[in-house]
Amino acid sequence: MDNKMKKLSKSPLYQQLVDAYNQRNSDGNATQEREQAFTAFVEKGFPSNRDEDWKFTNLAPFLADEYSFDLQQPAAAVLENAVQHARIPGLESYVLVLVNGKINGSLSILPDASCFKLKQLSEVSDLNYFNTYKSEHVGAGNRMLALNTALFNEGYLLEVPDSVIWDKPLHIIQFFAGEQNLFIQNRNVLVMGRFAGLEVIESVISLQNGHKLFVNNVTQVRVAEQASLIQYQIQHNQAEDRLVNFLEVVQEKISRYDHFSFNLPGAELIRNNLEIVLNGSATETHLMGLYLVGDHQLTDNHTAIHHLFPNCDSNEIYKGVLLGKGKAVFNGKVFVERPAQKTNAFQQNNNLLLSDKAQVFAKPQLEIFADDVKCSHGCTVGQFDPESLFYLRSRGIGEDSARKLLVEAFMFDVTQRITNEPVKEYVQSLIYEKMENSFADTNTSVYG
Amino acid sequence: MMLSIKNLHANIEGKEILKGINLEVNAGEVHAIMGPNGSGKSSLASVLAGRENYEVTEGEVWLDGKNLLDMKPEERAREGVFLAFQYPVEIPGVSNINFLKTALSEIRTHRNLPQLSAKEFLKMTREKQELVEFEAKLANRSLNQGFSGGEKKRNEVFQLAMLEPKLSILDETDSGLDIDALRIVSSGINKLRSTENAFVLITHYQRLLEYIVPDFVHVLYNGQIVKSGNKDLALELEEKGYDWLKEEFHGNAALNGQ
Repeated sequence: MDNKMKKLSKSPLYQQLVDAYNQRNSDGNATQEREQAFTAFVEKGFPSNRDEDWKFTNLAPFLADEYSFDLQQPAAAVLENAVQHARIPGLESYVLVLVNGKINGSLSILPDASCFKLKQLSEVSDLNYFNTYKSEHVGAGNRMLALNTALFNEGYLLEVPDSVIWDKPLHIIQFFAGEQNLFIQNRNVLVMGRFAGLEVIESVISLQNGHKLFVNNVTQVRVAEQASLIQYQIQHNQAEDRLVNFLEVVQEKISRYDHFSFNLPGAELIRNNLEIVLNGSATETHLMGLYLVGDHQLTDNHTAIHHLFPNCDSNEIYKGVLLGKGKAVFNGKVFVERPAQKTNAFQQNNNLLLSDKAQVFAKPQLEIFADDVKCSHGCTVGQFDPESLFYLRSRGIGEDSARKLLVEAFMFDVTQRITNEPVKEYVQSLIYEKMENSFADTNTSVYG
Repeated sequence: MMLSIKNLHANIEGKEILKGINLEVNAGEVHAIMGPNGSGKSSLASVLAGRENYEVTEGEVWLDGKNLLDMKPEERAREGVFLAFQYPVEIPGVSNINFLKTALSEIRTHRNLPQLSAKEFLKMTREKQELVEFEAKLANRSLNQGFSGGEKKRNEVFQLAMLEPKLSILDETDSGLDIDALRIVSSGINKLRSTENAFVLITHYQRLLEYIVPDFVHVLYNGQIVKSGNKDLALELEEKGYDWLKEEFHGNAALNGQ
């Protein structure tokens, strides 16, 4: 055992996870995938700042807490109330409620049974699962993904059959509840059949009553030929929440995938990995992100788009507003492989710092091996333009309203693309609410 | 007395730019402020509008008996000060209409006027656009974005018409305008003149004053008003330039032992 191993084994969580795996596989029947993933984790442990992809996001302080894997079923009344609270005002939608990864049928509202197939992942055998949903292409070396692969147990498997287009969006609300600090690893699968269409809104909500929640989640999405999926991820969490999320999307030819990531205060840690594999030609992909990062928050978005076939378009816009001592990381990788001629890949990342104590680490990373492509990227970090602020104020617009107008303007590239009006209003109102609170806190120190 | 400026001194980055301005403006009057480059004309406009990088070191400014220097820029605007910018900014993502609505709403709240309905607002927008002959399409466009230099200046005059200020300060609104645009802008301003409001025109050129006839012309030099007169002073300046005034000023300064 070298020094690094000794250090890793000191972390109680590391040992707990190793024990959990050994216990789970006491019969020695683990699939090769689980074994390999477990070995990768055991050898190298949790990611650290020495890993290029985790350079600015140090997990150590978040992993140092004591965690338990013991789950708790919240009281029915508590859940019912929480669902009501989680719903988006004015949004007509179906609802899929999960508690600790288990589907709650009585609180869910779903369409006609012909419109979907829904299973608990625990009902699917490992052999079956790994044969159907291999994830060998991407994420190699991501040890949080490996850890999840070794130990995931629960989650949903939702399939929209060929040619089925849902008449209303689906709001997936995931609740997590444990006895004490909870560390949980789920895996979800969403499969869109050929010519299928769906719009999904996802919320993750802690019912931990002040205890910490660490979610290491993996979601696999498959979008078949000519299918279309819009996915809204709304991360509006509590300070005690730590969210590590790995989302892998594989798109087949002529499919369309739109992803909106809204990272709002105040989870202490948000790390989103988004891996898009364009596994066919003539696909269309839009990745839109808005991150509002407040005091004592670390929000990290790592995205990667893999162009493998010709004639695919990808368009990525991530916009960040940083308050107080907020810290944000953006890493946008675009790979255009040799066969992927006539690729259009566009990436933009803009950051607005509203405090001199906020930090942003932004890194666009384009690797292009084809020669007949249009690719561009742009990255900016700035503050309010004082001249714009003065112009608005000189027309009688108060300082707070003027700032609000300018933030609205800053986010416009992304918000104008939200086609679902209630979702747009909901997200904007959350942003303004968080900003106003923050202005109230920092007015004198930052702007005085 | 609408505006009263007494012995106004102001610095920018530690350098004194205004060195004792005295000026009184009554309702119904048009004052022109002329002067060579760097004499402090735009600085005076900025200080009156409340631009924050200027520091007032001495003097007073009163607007209808209220201390203007105590107010934030937005408070001055709500009290009726309007600055037409020399270089209006483009703000991508802020729509012209939303901007005007917000401004008008905050000003009307301050003035205890009822809020306009969406219909009334649109009607007013249309009427004021016609009044100042500003045809640019505003809906679904960002503030000043894609506007030519001339359109930006005309948008300033349109905003002036919408916000109905008491005191309008036009900072070189004529610069960068061609003859036709100058005529249109001037005619718009003439239509907005009334016995209730006042205008301060900052300009380099006598040409503007052929269209908007001032009641008073002041020459600003070295941070002070060194000469005041009627519209004929502008003609004299056009003919003789500023050198004779500079000499007079330096001569007086020498006499006074400065």
